Amino acid sequence: MTSAISVSKLVKTFGATRALDGLDLEVATGEVHGFLGPNGSGKSTTIRVLLGLLRADSGVVRLLDGDPWRDAVALHRRLAYVPGDVTLWPQITGGEAIDLFGRLQGGLDPRRRAGLLERFDLDPRKKARTYSKGNRQKVALVAALASDAELLMLDEPTSGLDPLMEAVFQECIREVRAEGRTVLLSSHILAEAEALCDRVSIIRHGRTVQSGSLTELRHLQRTSVVARTERPVSGLESLPGVDDLRHDDGQVYFDVDADGLDLVLRHLTSFGVRNLTSAPPTLEALFLRHYGNEEVDNGVSSRGKPVRS
Amino acid sequence: MSTRLVSAGSTTVGGTAALLRFALRRDRIRLPVWIAAGTFMVVTQSVGSQALYDSADDLAAYQASVGSNAATIALGGPPVGLDTVAGAVAFDISATVMLIAALMAMFTVARHTRADEEAGRTELIRSARVGRHAPLLAAVLLSSAACVAIALTIGAATTASGLPALGSFVLGASVGACGLVFTGVAAVAVQATGHTRSVYGLVGGLFAVAFVLRAVGDIQRSWVVWTSPIGWAQATHPFTDDSMLPLVLCVFVAATLVAAGFLLLDRRDLGSGLLQPRPGRPAAPRTLLSPLGLAVRLHRGALLAWTVGLGLLGLVYGALAESVETLIGENDQALMIFGNPDVDQLVDAYLATTFAVTALLASAYAVSAVLRVRAEESGSRAEPVLATATSRAAWLGSHVAVALLGSALAMAASGITTGLVRAAQTGEASAFGRMLAAATAYVPAIWVVAGVAVVLVGLVPRQAQALAWTAVGVLLLITMFAESFDWPQWVGDLSPIAWTPTRPLEEWTAGPLVGLLAAAAGLTALGFAGFRRRDLITG
Ligand SMILES: Nc1ncnc2c1ncn2[C@@H]1O[C@H](COP(=O)(O)OP(=O)(O)O)[C@@H](O)[C@H]1O
Ligand SMILES: [Mg+2]
Repeated sequence: MTSAISVSKLVKTFGATRALDGLDLEVATGEVHGFLGPNGSGKSTTIRVLLGLLRADSGVVRLLDGDPWRDAVALHRRLAYVPGDVTLWPQITGGEAIDLFGRLQGGLDPRRRAGLLERFDLDPRKKARTYSKGNRQKVALVAALASDAELLMLDEPTSGLDPLMEAVFQECIREVRAEGRTVLLSSHILAEAEALCDRVSIIRHGRTVQSGSLTELRHLQRTSVVARTERPVSGLESLPGVDDLRHDDGQVYFDVDADGLDLVLRHLTSFGVRNLTSAPPTLEALFLRHYGNEEVDNGVSSRGKPVRS
Repeated sequence: MSTRLVSAGSTTVGGTAALLRFALRRDRIRLPVWIAAGTFMVVTQSVGSQALYDSADDLAAYQASVGSNAATIALGGPPVGLDTVAGAVAFDISATVMLIAALMAMFTVARHTRADEEAGRTELIRSARVGRHAPLLAAVLLSSAACVAIALTIGAATTASGLPALGSFVLGASVGACGLVFTGVAAVAVQATGHTRSVYGLVGGLFAVAFVLRAVGDIQRSWVVWTSPIGWAQATHPFTDDSMLPLVLCVFVAATLVAAGFLLLDRRDLGSGLLQPRPGRPAAPRTLLSPLGLAVRLHRGALLAWTVGLGLLGLVYGALAESVETLIGENDQALMIFGNPDVDQLVDAYLATTFAVTALLASAYAVSAVLRVRAEESGSRAEPVLATATSRAAWLGSHVAVALLGSALAMAASGITTGLVRAAQTGEASAFGRMLAAATAYVPAIWVVAGVAVVLVGLVPRQAQALAWTAVGVLLLITMFAESFDWPQWVGDLSPIAWTPTRPLEEWTAGPLVGLLAAAAGLTALGFAGFRRRDLITG
């Protein structure tokens, strides 16, 4: 297995801010790799170093067997990039911008371009100043997906897309993967990575804290549940994987590990479930649970409620 | 109009007073600067003209040359009362100050209506206890107050500068009235289009149309002048007729336009305009598909404006050359001061100095074009381009190339128009070549200034904008004042413009020009080296 991206002990500082603090990242050729971390954890900075837009302070960075700073132009012919916050030139239309990015990164397939415009429901005749954030993001996505780049670097590409478009995006990424291309997909939403990624790396404060396949990270997959039942629920606390249990006003609140979910649901139905909502926890909440103590040790302030009541 | 907002007693104009206070606070620096700038221009003209035309002969010469010159009439106004200094002041300056008042009104109205709406601030404000019509009403009131203020300060300051009081205040009122009309025009324009920039384009375009109509009317001395609000404002003929009647027309039209603005406001949704933007190209033309193509596309509007602007300036300088000729030719004292009886040479000297001022403006353009690099960079528009197979040198180079060639083009445009006018005036074809050469001789100096901007962008990106404009400011001071105030030689030598041999006065020598070109090349190379070594700075 060859590496498309290989980063070790990467450090990047901005004045007093240590944005990357010894980050490691391995992305194998042909995989969709989730690059997860809360806001401000250093995802965009890492990607900018990989693009040769920022110069690393120290560490080893290899991209497609090249040095991203020295060989920037040659490497850029083989990759496509979608920035986190796409800004375009107000007087240039979406179609023009797509063609421009396409040509500058080494050409794009006109048939694929037309198909993507249709699937993303994007009007290429509009000037960029009239586009919403989501539409600007679609412009960059169409340009990247219509290219034949062997590596796609996508920085939170769905942050402005509505759920329908997010589904289209996921479909496109699966096609890209089927073609054997490599994708680095940054996100601060675990569920998005679950839907698409072969492997993920989770970073925090500029350092890699977890890396592996989704099954290896299964302990991170938890569900927050709120249920209203006919009769008061009892006995949940003794079930495996249940945490943060709380009863309030006829409702029960708790978090449960993926492995414990099935048992918990069977248990709940015996009390007559009237209403049930479940949601994946945010990365921030997960971090608070798994690394809460370390955070206190490091003297880093944490926001939010105490982990356990 | 039946919409009542949340709180009892609030109407569609509820909250106007609060918005007005807030707008006044936001503009507490801006508006005084506009007003002071307009007033300063009138006072400078007044003081200057009183010193220049101190005898009846001077005035007669001025009237003879200017009053029959189509170019000066086109730029000035109706050639009325030119036998008095005060009349000459009104003729020379009123159109320019009316432009200032119109721009002030346009920016004020647009900033507090469309710009806020575009940025989503209006939505926030309107969700508080503020009526639907309140933002427009507050903006119109603020702009009107500024127009009244500029009228009064011009009146008072011009009186103080030694011109008759009645005429001074009539001149001020004419300027203010023109501002009021464009307050109304802006009130309609902000309803028409969804984007602040389009508002500026629309109002600016309408001002240009109004200006051309009055120019045609004044040259032909025909009714056409009455189709233009600028024509009405100038029909007061300050210091000559002092007739306030035409201003009634201005105020009436302004009020009608404002009322129309409110009507249109009720016919559109928040955040959108009445006019739908035209769809653009669905695919890029070949010319766009390279770093240079992109740079040309991004710069072309500004470059065209500067080229046309400097070309017009050259036209004016050329047209004024004949007045200078007449003035000097009939002024024995001036001939003695210059110690040179050859009138043609004096005209050449005058043109040479005017080209130094044009070169200063072309340098300002070059700096603004180079600084576009920083705007692209901090606006995150450089990042996706540099993430393609576009090298940093190619990207920076395309912008710098536009800055260098563009400033040369603008400078040449100025030389060409002056040359054409001079050739027509003197009947010598060779005058064209002389003027073009005199203007383009400044290009290496302009490139040195551009090179300084490139170095700053490459080496100290965060401070580049402030430092580059400071450099232009220093250059301005040196070019304007170093010689007149006898500053030490080394101060003057700081300006690359001063190193340029002022043709056709001085002998042409290659030395300084080659030196300037070498300096420009060295500075640019240094800037490129810095840019290739540093982080891209976004945000
Ligand atoms: N150009 C910069 N100057 C100073 N600080 C920066 C700069 N870019 C990023 N940072 C800081 O580095 C940290 C990581 O930011 P970033 O990489 O954007 O995080 P993410 O993309 O994961 O949200 C943040 O604390 C951010 O404030
Ligand atoms: Mg980011």
